[in-house]
Amino acid sequence: MSFFSKEKTYRDPIRWQKELRLAPAYLLLLIWIFFTVVLLGWVVLASFSTTKEIFANNLLSSGFHWENYEKAWVNSDVSTIFFNSLFYSLSSVFLLVLVCAPAAYALSRFSFRGNQLMQNAFVASMGVPVVMIVLPLFAMVAGLDILNHVIPNKLTLIFLYVGINVPYTTIFLMGFFANISRAFEEAAAIDGCPPGKCFWQIMLPMAQPGIITVSIFNFINVWNEYFISLIFGNSDQVRSVAVGLYSMINSMKYTGDWAGMFASVIIVFLPTFVLYLFLSERIIAGVTGGGVKG
Amino acid sequence: MKKNSAILFAFVSPAAILFLLVFLYPILRTLCMSFFKIDGVTDAFSKWQFVGLENYQKLLSTTLFRISMGNLFRIWAFGGILVLSLSLLFAVIITSGIRGKSFFRAMIYLPNIVSAVALATMWLQYVYSPKFGLLKSFFTMIHLDKLARIQWLSNDHKFMALLIAYCFGMVGYHMLIFASGIERISGDYFEAATLDGANRLQQFRHITLPLLKGMFHTNITMWSVSSVGFFVWSQLFSTVTADTQTITPMVYMYMQIFGAGNSVTERNAGIGAAVGVCLSLCVVLIFQLCNRLFKDKDLEF
Repeated sequence: MSFFSKEKTYRDPIRWQKELRLAPAYLLLLIWIFFTVVLLGWVVLASFSTTKEIFANNLLSSGFHWENYEKAWVNSDVSTIFFNSLFYSLSSVFLLVLVCAPAAYALSRFSFRGNQLMQNAFVASMGVPVVMIVLPLFAMVAGLDILNHVIPNKLTLIFLYVGINVPYTTIFLMGFFANISRAFEEAAAIDGCPPGKCFWQIMLPMAQPGIITVSIFNFINVWNEYFISLIFGNSDQVRSVAVGLYSMINSMKYTGDWAGMFASVIIVFLPTFVLYLFLSERIIAGVTGGGVKG
Repeated sequence: MKKNSAILFAFVSPAAILFLLVFLYPILRTLCMSFFKIDGVTDAFSKWQFVGLENYQKLLSTTLFRISMGNLFRIWAFGGILVLSLSLLFAVIITSGIRGKSFFRAMIYLPNIVSAVALATMWLQYVYSPKFGLLKSFFTMIHLDKLARIQWLSNDHKFMALLIAYCFGMVGYHMLIFASGIERISGDYFEAATLDGANRLQQFRHITLPLLKGMFHTNITMWSVSSVGFFVWSQLFSTVTADTQTITPMVYMYMQIFGAGNSVTERNAGIGAAVGVCLSLCVVLIFQLCNRLFKDKDLEF
């Protein structure tokens, strides 16, 4: 399941002739990955160096400078945007499961009027550009005078993150519920379990792999979301990491604190990276698995 | 059964209500807004002034908007060719029985999970940096001083720099979709082709490519959807407001409605709505084209 795990425990013996034929392929992959590693690695090293060292191109020549992180975390308030985004992501992920899992279950299991229409509408809305919905939403939110109050503003952001991800999450989870045998519900019904209880206690736990995968995606999406956060949450106490990082980068360019800027970049990068480190196989399977057709 | 339909309603309605509030109502209202002259986004309906197609006419005759559409088209077309060919190449390599497949796959997908702001900053402040940049150091090292002197973020090269940085992050996702398509093709085909004496390239041309039709469909659709929303990268790469090298329709709309800046001559939320409608039309058009292009279902496998 983790980044480092092997695909299978059984390994083919090395056939040198075959490997040699694949040499150009390996070379190409290695060049691409080498670049990725250099890109990320250099930024990590730069985040531990001083700005002077970065410009002189001799990173870390005076040892590790943890204070870059300390400064970014405390003085530049990376901690605020970090915890804001953590709050947004976790709440959205939780609410999305709460809203979408029952809907996905009902849509995949029962035939009722409007079922197909709702499915089609959800699929179509995944192609709708966000500019098509942002103006009326802004009018609604600004009309309620939400943008000047911190707590309502934060809740509005969560509402929007949840709303925008409802179609994707529902469609993704539908695939998982469709694959669960009906025998379980029938057995539960015979034992006298009401359908509502049956869903929460039997079906939901059985769809757990799908719920975990879609939650990881939702977490990453909300964590990295930029446009909605920019328009609906652009005040000091409300900013998410993406918007906060952007304004921080702009100010650090003028103060000339490159080391601090790279430290902030790494702090924002870290949570999704750590998730990926442990769950890459699951994430990769999820990209082509449910939801996204293909 | 009455009880069941109540439960069904309870299960579906939260998602349905959110969908109505966040998608359906805003889409209809935006469509409506695009035919009106509206001074402020928050203005009540009674203050709207019907102007018919005037917003669209104005938009299409605005040079900056036309430039932004041109940029978007270049990103979609050139970036699309670059990303899809690279991701197809990597997908073929990944599925060709190499060792360490899951490691390579995970590494190539990695940029997709990184915040676009963080990734763009890495490119801007490191790779393209004129002082300590990766490209500069690399070209200096191999003594190509002419290339080392290139100012990647100057107006002449900025668009290319933006496109390359953006495409680098997109390859992984499309590669995964191609790879899943290739893995679904039965090995029997390749075996039979090998027995008939077809080489690797012929097999790719006559087996893999035709059977990947569906994956091309998915990939082009997804690429188009993400291109239309091109915003963060453009904002990060532009040094001035209304930077003609990097502006895209979404940035233009943002400037019109939310951003200050001297380039805005007149505040009219109707024009912003018209930008949204234009982009949605582009998406619909591409969907239709793709459906027509990849429609034949005779390739069942």
